[in-house]
Amino acid sequence: MNTDTLADSRSKTSFTDFLNRMHHPASLDLVRSIKSFIVSFSFYQPKPENDGKRVQDFFLSMEAAMRDHPLWTTASEEDIDCAMEGLEKYIMIKLFSRTFSATPEDAKIDNEISEKICLLQTFLKPEHLDIPPILQNEASWLLAEKELLKINAFKAPHEKLLSILNCCRVINKVLLNVAVSEHVPAGADDFLPVLIYVTIKANPQKLHSNLKFIKLFRRQAKLISEAEYYFTNLVSAAAFIVDLNAKSLSMDEIKFEESMQAAKLINKVTNESSSTCQMSQQENNKCSCSEKMHHKLDDTGVFKDVEHGSNYPYMEAKSKELTVGDVDMLLSDYKDLVAKYTILCKAISCLSTSEREPLLRQIEKQSAETLLSQHPGINTPTTHQDN
Amino acid sequence: MGCGSSFPDRDSRQLGRPSSENGGGQDARNLRVKLVLLGDSGVGKSCIVLRFVRGQFDATSKVTVGASFLSQTIALQDSTTVKFEIWDTAGQERYAALAPLYYRGAAVAVIVYDITSPESFSKAQYWVKELQKHGSPDIVMALVGNKADLQEKREVAVQDGTDYAEKNGMFFIETSAKTADNINELFEEIAKRLPRPSDS
Repeated sequence: MNTDTLADSRSKTSFTDFLNRMHHPASLDLVRSIKSFIVSFSFYQPKPENDGKRVQDFFLSMEAAMRDHPLWTTASEEDIDCAMEGLEKYIMIKLFSRTFSATPEDAKIDNEISEKICLLQTFLKPEHLDIPPILQNEASWLLAEKELLKINAFKAPHEKLLSILNCCRVINKVLLNVAVSEHVPAGADDFLPVLIYVTIKANPQKLHSNLKFIKLFRRQAKLISEAEYYFTNLVSAAAFIVDLNAKSLSMDEIKFEESMQAAKLINKVTNESSSTCQMSQQENNKCSCSEKMHHKLDDTGVFKDVEHGSNYPYMEAKSKELTVGDVDMLLSDYKDLVAKYTILCKAISCLSTSEREPLLRQIEKQSAETLLSQHPGINTPTTHQDN
Repeated sequence: MGCGSSFPDRDSRQLGRPSSENGGGQDARNLRVKLVLLGDSGVGKSCIVLRFVRGQFDATSKVTVGASFLSQTIALQDSTTVKFEIWDTAGQERYAALAPLYYRGAAVAVIVYDITSPESFSKAQYWVKELQKHGSPDIVMALVGNKADLQEKREVAVQDGTDYAEKNGMFFIETSAKTADNINELFEEIAKRLPRPSDS
């Protein structure tokens, strides 16, 4: 998109321009204030709200200093603004590690949101948010998701905010296209549900921390109007996800609870099987299976054939050690995993909660056997032990 | 729910001219005002705004990111200008709890219902109460009965709207986004009622 590249390149030039001016001997006093401000931060424990206030106050005092500064006497409003963008970026990159996700609570909230989204991803459909079929456009939404995911590629609040705006821009483009062709209005009634859906599909890491960081450290004079509106929409999408329960969706409440349970189970199984798998691999490498390991495998029973034989011999591999000859094996492993996962998900979605757990194991076993019979000779316990 | 097929000609108003865009110079003569739109989904919130914003200008001119945030500047007779920054909100029940994020800091709330839907009128009253409790104390509130062109389907009497608004010290108007009736009057009246920085 043109506008994005324009915005990107403008922000790059303004930053380079800022750095150039700061190298000018005449701006030594400004450089000193900036450096001492950054250093002053290391004297205190992080306290997000205080830190936000201090940074904002510093931005204002620097803006005033620039306006009075010989180097900027002929500067236009736009020049000052560019310099301030440069300053915001410089300061926030320097202070990033101590201001972003600065408290354990932030990290905790981030994880909770992300884990909840993981569960929702397994079953949530656009119609659960009443997004009408005519507005559904998964292909374009994918672009919106990509834009949103860029939020973690940047450290400057301005650039993080741009990721959000670009995401919203993509969504709106789709909405406006439909609005024009179908003569329907494309207002917030349509926009917010789509943004929520896109956010769930994208599951941007550290969502809460990113929003908090932008709120606290984006220059206040810039978090207004349209930018503030779309920022608020993402804040409200996050709030909706945090509070989301059986009543929040157009979905049978019992079905919702069951889907969440199933998703938790899948997550649990996936985690367990990958960790068991890793453990078994380590044990095999040492050529000794501990008693404890055997017990664990017997407990889970169905995993025995698969895990003990180590279906995943590359778990510990480094990319440097791989050769072209490994591609076949890696591909077939990949296919195994996808096949298994798909079967598992399908099966789980048809079951009631009480039936789910025992049957889940049965299915896992069957699919493993099918896969083993399809690929005789590879990954069987005998073959592996011969190694 | 279309906005109505006949968009008016862009020439027919002399209401306002866009002021030179400078990201929010706030002085007594040029106000920048946050206006939040509340009301059930389907009552025509976005249609009212589209009518207000695009009825006067080229449909492609002012739209930047999208249609749920739009801004429009109007000039008043005393040669002051008011730039409305209009925040649309999702009207579905499941998003009601998110509304405070949107109306926080708003100078104006426009609460819209559909004159053919008594439910939407009760929902409008819910929003009035909520704003009285949690909105900023000097917020200017307008109650709007939309779809006034659908007289034969009317289920909320004009008098009901008038009475309720009067009791709650609000401005009341019936509009039709479809025919553009009273749309500009609505925003002009709001502009007049805004507290000016000098008298606050």
